[in-house]
Amino acid sequence: MNSPNAKTVALPYNRSRQAREAETMLDHLTDDFDDNPAAMAYFYDLFRRAYCKGESLEREGVRVGTTCIHAPEELIYAMGATPVRLCNGSYHYDQVGADFMPAKSCSLVKATLGMLSSENVIPKVGKLDLIVNPTTCDQKKKASAMMAGMGHQVYDLELPPAKESEQARVYWQRSVREFAQQLRSLTGKKLTRKNLMAAMARTGRAQAAFRTLHNFRRKSPSVVLGKDVFLITNAYFFDDIERWTEAVEKLNAELVQRDKDGFCAAQKKAPRILFTGSPPIFPNLKLPLLVEQSGGVVVADETCSANRMLYDMTAVDEWLVNDMVDSLADKYLKPCTCPIFTNNDDRIRRLLELAKSFAVDGVVYQAFAGCQVYEMEQRSVAEALNKEGIAMLYIETDYSPDDMGQLTTRIEAFLESLKSRKRKRA
Amino acid sequence: MSQLKKAKAAFDLINWNRFRFWFQMSCFVLLVYGGYLGLDLGKHLPTFSCIYNTEARGGACYLSILQHQMAWPWQKLFSVAALTILTGFLTFAAWFIAINKLWCGLICPLGTVQDWMTALRRRLGVRYGRYTLGQFRVLAQIKYILLALMFLIPLGIGAGWFHKDWGLPFCMICPARMIIPAFDLNFTNWVVDFSTTPKMILSSLGIVVVGLFFVGIFIKKRFFCFFCPMSAFLYLISKPALLTLKKDGDKCTRCGDCYTVCDMDIREIADEVKNPRIMMDDCTLCLKCVAACPEPGALKANYAGITFFEATEAGFIKRSQKGIGLEQPKR
Ligand code: SF4
Ligand code: SF4
Ligand code: SF4
Ligand code: SF4
Ligand code: SF4
Repeated sequence: MNSPNAKTVALPYNRSRQAREAETMLDHLTDDFDDNPAAMAYFYDLFRRAYCKGESLEREGVRVGTTCIHAPEELIYAMGATPVRLCNGSYHYDQVGADFMPAKSCSLVKATLGMLSSENVIPKVGKLDLIVNPTTCDQKKKASAMMAGMGHQVYDLELPPAKESEQARVYWQRSVREFAQQLRSLTGKKLTRKNLMAAMARTGRAQAAFRTLHNFRRKSPSVVLGKDVFLITNAYFFDDIERWTEAVEKLNAELVQRDKDGFCAAQKKAPRILFTGSPPIFPNLKLPLLVEQSGGVVVADETCSANRMLYDMTAVDEWLVNDMVDSLADKYLKPCTCPIFTNNDDRIRRLLELAKSFAVDGVVYQAFAGCQVYEMEQRSVAEALNKEGIAMLYIETDYSPDDMGQLTTRIEAFLESLKSRKRKRA
Repeated sequence: MSQLKKAKAAFDLINWNRFRFWFQMSCFVLLVYGGYLGLDLGKHLPTFSCIYNTEARGGACYLSILQHQMAWPWQKLFSVAALTILTGFLTFAAWFIAINKLWCGLICPLGTVQDWMTALRRRLGVRYGRYTLGQFRVLAQIKYILLALMFLIPLGIGAGWFHKDWGLPFCMICPARMIIPAFDLNFTNWVVDFSTTPKMILSSLGIVVVGLFFVGIFIKKRFFCFFCPMSAFLYLISKPALLTLKKDGDKCTRCGDCYTVCDMDIREIADEVKNPRIMMDDCTLCLKCVAACPEPGALKANYAGITFFEATEAGFIKRSQKGIGLEQPKR
């Protein structure tokens, strides 16, 4: 196999295959649809600069990479550092990362490793002072040593394999407290009531903005498309949190107007899709894009690149550092519907509730080839949904664009079946 | 109707903890000093408005009368005179059924004193303790034992098995007997009664309990309520109560926010998703959990089937996301 890195070194970044991959996706996201919200320009532009032009997004101060949503960002912010979510969606990096992992492994993990091993990291977030790697799925666990082998400083944040028991909760609270210690020695800053409260307020405001956006997606006909929402939540991975929040609040204001004007972002009868499974991460927004190109609309999701990352908010009883940290720990563990946990009841209940409250017609379930946990949960999820009369399309795929044609056919057929079902019911 | 709906929507946004603080304060004044205002709600209240707070009280705790009546000689206990006991109990039950354990969460003066102590601890920046689940399961039984003894010892007196100086056994060790009258500057109960051995034992025990009370409340929120026989008693008769705490498990994400704020460490409030009647035996119906739940309609407080306070997203964000551009919280 010729190394995909070899050629790109010679070319300027914006003409590399990697930049073209991003550009193609972005062009589809913007040009294939009429009437994109004006407020989306901020996000389109952000991705163009970061992914197509390779512009720097470097932050001042200590930078902490995270490989999963379980790393409490509030703690990182509180100590004056900046978190960057490293989960990557690039096919280019997926190929680079293939050197590290067995043939049949998750594209996301491979792409993340590929990115971290590259000289020229896109998005350009600058040198990382620490990578926090929560011990979630096996592939991420094993990726830890590989990242360390590349010269990164890695901290394994120990996550319990189950989340129901009190034991797990206490164990995790201890992990999180230790993580705070680690951050303290990294940044030399102390965690105080004041800086933690400020950090929590910032994240809380971002989450509140996300929830407002999320609630707009209940509207039928839709006022906003799923491909845009995925792009927005993807931007949360690396964007400045305050700028991000303001941009989302602006979009929300625009959606209020759209709603008043009776605007339809998709066809009135477009089948409403709930997206679940392995996370769509730019530039791999292949599946949500295909759904919406084929006349469906993604109205809700249950993935760790969007809803699962931003939805659940923290409640604190006593605003003292200890209680705040424990409450944060609870938020990062208890509501999480990640399939790595022993039990998946919560995920099923969450899917059923989303399906009901967003008036969903069908569910699209993505599993990255090689992601055992999502593959294994597929059956139980399908059964539970079918029992409630909700159809589910299961798609096993990876970052390669090769299966686009075949996927289009399957998705079109699925949407068609949903439509005829709807007609029959009406 | 729409007026009513509007009022409810506004109430759902309320800063519950602040509302509760002032509500508790008002009830405290009424029950602990109401006597001076001419208030008398009788002697059958399902709450620790202590009867030993003689002149000032606005109504009295039922447990004293109950223990007193249970100690009647058995001929009297099993005669028509028992009708007095029955009507007494019915009065007590009526008070209770009207608002369920809201008596504990919003009214009980001893509960309020505990919450004040908690606020003091918080101001000092001292963090609270929690029981481990194992400890919790064991400790949760104690209140039932106290409740049983509260009936058995007086019955034994009536039967002539125990000396009458063992009378009112729970009152003698109840922390309210010393604490509540103290608010009226009445310290007559802060002594060991050396007159007879039983009285000496009980009154010394009472002092020990008060000591434990003050230590415990500095560590554990609502420390005494875990052991309170009134709580056990009320729970046992709570089936017909008009006010209920309801959970819609389908809407719950099991985020644990409600459990985090629960003073009584009630795990089920977050974890249980099948049973809609979610009031557990230790629950004081403080409704903090409803205020801390971000999922619309997941937790509800109903009165006779009508929801008057429920979890809402907007209410949650307003209440618990300190400093999202709103005011910064004070400790
Ligand atoms: S998609 Fe699956 S294998 Fe990949 S990182 Fe997520 S859980 Fe792990
Ligand atoms: S001592 Fe306790 S149980 Fe007895 S009347 Fe007073 S509050 Fe009630
Ligand atoms: S449980 Fe607490 S609040 Fe309720 S009666 Fe007992 S002391 Fe008062
Ligand atoms: S706070 Fe609400 S959503 Fe969260 S666990 Fe409690 S009841 Fe469920
Ligand atoms: S379950 Fe809710 S109402 Fe009951 S004590 Fe706990 S927080 Fe209060």
